[in-house]
Amino acid sequence: MKKSSIFKVLLLAGGLSCFSSCSEFLEREPDEILTDDQVFSDAVMIESVLANFYGRVTWSQHIGDWIQYTVLDEAGKSDGGPDNIQNYSNEQWRVYDYTLIRNINQFLQSLRATTVITDIEKQVYEGEVRFLRAWTYFNMARGLGGMPIVGDEVFDYESGMDITTLQYPRSTEAGIYDYIIEECEAVSAMLDDVKTVNSARANKWAALMLKARAAIYAGSLANYNNKMNSPIRTAGGEVGIPAERANGYYEQALATAQDIINNSPYELQLNKPDDLERNFYEALSVKDNNTEVIWARDYRYPGQTVGFTTQNIPGSHAEDIDRAAAGPILNLVEDFEYVNDRDGSIHIRDNQGNYVFYDDPADAFANKDARLGGSVITPNAIFKGTPVVLQAGQKVWTNGAWQTITGQPGERDSQGRLITSSNGPNRSNEQYINKTGFFFRKFLDEAAGASTRGRNSEMWFPRFRFAEAVLIAAEAAMELGQQSVAVGYINQVRERAGIQPLTSVTLDDIVQERRVEFAFEDHRYWDLKRFRLAHIVWNGVVNSPTAQQWALFPYLVVAPGTPNDGKYVFDRLTFSNSLHPRFFELRNYYNFIDLAWQNANPKIVLNPFQ
Amino acid sequence: MLLFPAVVVVSSCGLDNYDAPESTIYGRVVYNGEPVGVRGTGEAVQLQLYQDGYELRNPIPVYVGQDGTFEAKVFDGEYKLVTRDNNGPWVNDRDTTVINLSGTTNVDVEVTPFYTLSNVQLSLSGNSANASFQINEVAGGRDIEYVMILVGKTSFVDDVSYTARLDINGVTAGNTVTGALDLTNNADFNSGRALFARVGLRPAGKDQAIYSQVVKLR
Repeated sequence: MKKSSIFKVLLLAGGLSCFSSCSEFLEREPDEILTDDQVFSDAVMIESVLANFYGRVTWSQHIGDWIQYTVLDEAGKSDGGPDNIQNYSNEQWRVYDYTLIRNINQFLQSLRATTVITDIEKQVYEGEVRFLRAWTYFNMARGLGGMPIVGDEVFDYESGMDITTLQYPRSTEAGIYDYIIEECEAVSAMLDDVKTVNSARANKWAALMLKARAAIYAGSLANYNNKMNSPIRTAGGEVGIPAERANGYYEQALATAQDIINNSPYELQLNKPDDLERNFYEALSVKDNNTEVIWARDYRYPGQTVGFTTQNIPGSHAEDIDRAAAGPILNLVEDFEYVNDRDGSIHIRDNQGNYVFYDDPADAFANKDARLGGSVITPNAIFKGTPVVLQAGQKVWTNGAWQTITGQPGERDSQGRLITSSNGPNRSNEQYINKTGFFFRKFLDEAAGASTRGRNSEMWFPRFRFAEAVLIAAEAAMELGQQSVAVGYINQVRERAGIQPLTSVTLDDIVQERRVEFAFEDHRYWDLKRFRLAHIVWNGVVNSPTAQQWALFPYLVVAPGTPNDGKYVFDRLTFSNSLHPRFFELRNYYNFIDLAWQNANPKIVLNPFQ
Repeated sequence: MLLFPAVVVVSSCGLDNYDAPESTIYGRVVYNGEPVGVRGTGEAVQLQLYQDGYELRNPIPVYVGQDGTFEAKVFDGEYKLVTRDNNGPWVNDRDTTVINLSGTTNVDVEVTPFYTLSNVQLSLSGNSANASFQINEVAGGRDIEYVMILVGKTSFVDDVSYTARLDINGVTAGNTVTGALDLTNNADFNSGRALFARVGLRPAGKDQAIYSQVVKLR
């Protein structure tokens, strides 16, 4: 029993040493809570606070939250049972982050006082945080309308003071966009104009992009809200921008976008003119040598990775158990035009209503806008060197009619022909099987290990990129009646997509171009809102071509002895995992004000329909 | 040691809990004494009940049913009832109805619809649901976005809950509208189950349609 006595000695020793160290237990300095002085006397600490702010400004639709892609008309949920979405919440993608704004203002106050970094460094930091603050206001404004603007104020409350001095009323909707535009203008002069590593930090051009985007949003709100049957307004203008301000905003948007187009180090990336699909994928989803992306939420292994690829990779290409959580829907796929035909409908039936037979399912997507292949994996498209097989079942010609046969994922018939692909699609509640007929390609990482749970992906999420400047310029010029300017810009984007140029530009063209160019980039919802088209597109009508979610199922033809044996046909079906059409009601144009905010600050007026 | 927390819980129950409210406001949203049919699902049409004299002024939402009636169980006291801003197929009017509640109160909230529907005939013949109704301009001043014939498989029928729907555009007030909704391929029709129907009219730029009362087709 020598062993146990050694343990006793060790235990005793441990106990003793513990007692001795406890003597100053209550006098330790905390090593996780740092004072303002400690932070702002160390350049590295200041930078890490800044990094914290960058990590807190990702809202609404982004690759860190794949399910948000399924609530509009871009993708469908395939990870289990149906989504049951019948209408949009009054808090849909609502941002109300005065905690962040306060933290930024505290940072500004201490930054201006510190002496450990040079004035030039201070100026850049100030520019960055003020940009992030403007971005935060912008995210609040596009959901809620005008909200209280607190400037650089850091509020302190002591008991007994008059609380009404801390209660700021909401600004007007025009006022909050004006503030964002002014702030961006001011900080664009403080920031560097060179590209940043992985576009992770804001530079001058990110600030100007936000300025241009805020101006075009404000312009279109002033314009299209007032063209509604009954414009959405509050008495104090917290919601509703006067129509006469539209042109001023459009001019600002055009001038700012043109500044970026003409003077920035970015361009419409065209590194692979011989393969426009690949080119478009790389412009969005590959960081190396990227000349397109201006500001992004960057991810980096280890520590900062994103699960989008893990969750959404096709089953045939998965490296872990996760796969196929969501897939793009037919609504989006058909909105991509053909090279020479603006109607992007997939040809699945001929004029007599008979099937169109394809030798290869991929042929149905030939001659499409190159951005389709760069954004969506269509049946039999190549991903990481091998085709992604999507086959729902077989169409068997029996007794003069087509019989549909489906099987378990991966099942083959007695002749060894595939019935249903292991990828799907099918119409079930099964996890890990595609249900739309398509997979994501945009933001799907090709790197080895990127779809494993342990590692995840380093894919970034671009917030601003050069093509947006070009399309903002096109839209603003169109609204200002400068058709030739608008045509010039929109055709730059269309040329890179390999589709026919336009000779004139209408609002529908702008909506269409932004829809396909910026799929999955958090533009669709806000665009349809500012054009006041959301309640028309998502009208809640069952089987509506735009409000209902649609899927496209490929089938192998089994008709021995006929020329069509072994070919492929397609069925257009309602997407099984979204039972109801999308229904955007007039009240959804602005988020509701939380009544707790109003209780804390009675000067906050409520939004329309509330 | 075990008894001590148990004692605390028991004693605090008696002190903290109020009795549930027992008084009820029964009401209707009416025009010319007739209840106004609305969408009754999804909390689509709401009234707001305010009570003065407290620090916080959050309204109590009161949900209007599809037949235009509503009901709220609250404590006795003086309340103010208003329609919700821009909500409902009527002219936005946020005048207050004062309610002195003691026990039970009946209240009618008067609204002015843009249009009303009258002489509504709904019937099932063969494979179609036939509707005929007259559109009357009341407040007017707005286009009619569309009228719709709705068939549902439950007694809740509106522009979200339906199994078949026919929209008719280009109608004007003062006319009788007729329409036939083909149910040949409708699974609920073919199953032989009960069917319900109503018609609705959506004034342009309003968030809600006005409806006739629901009738049972079979």
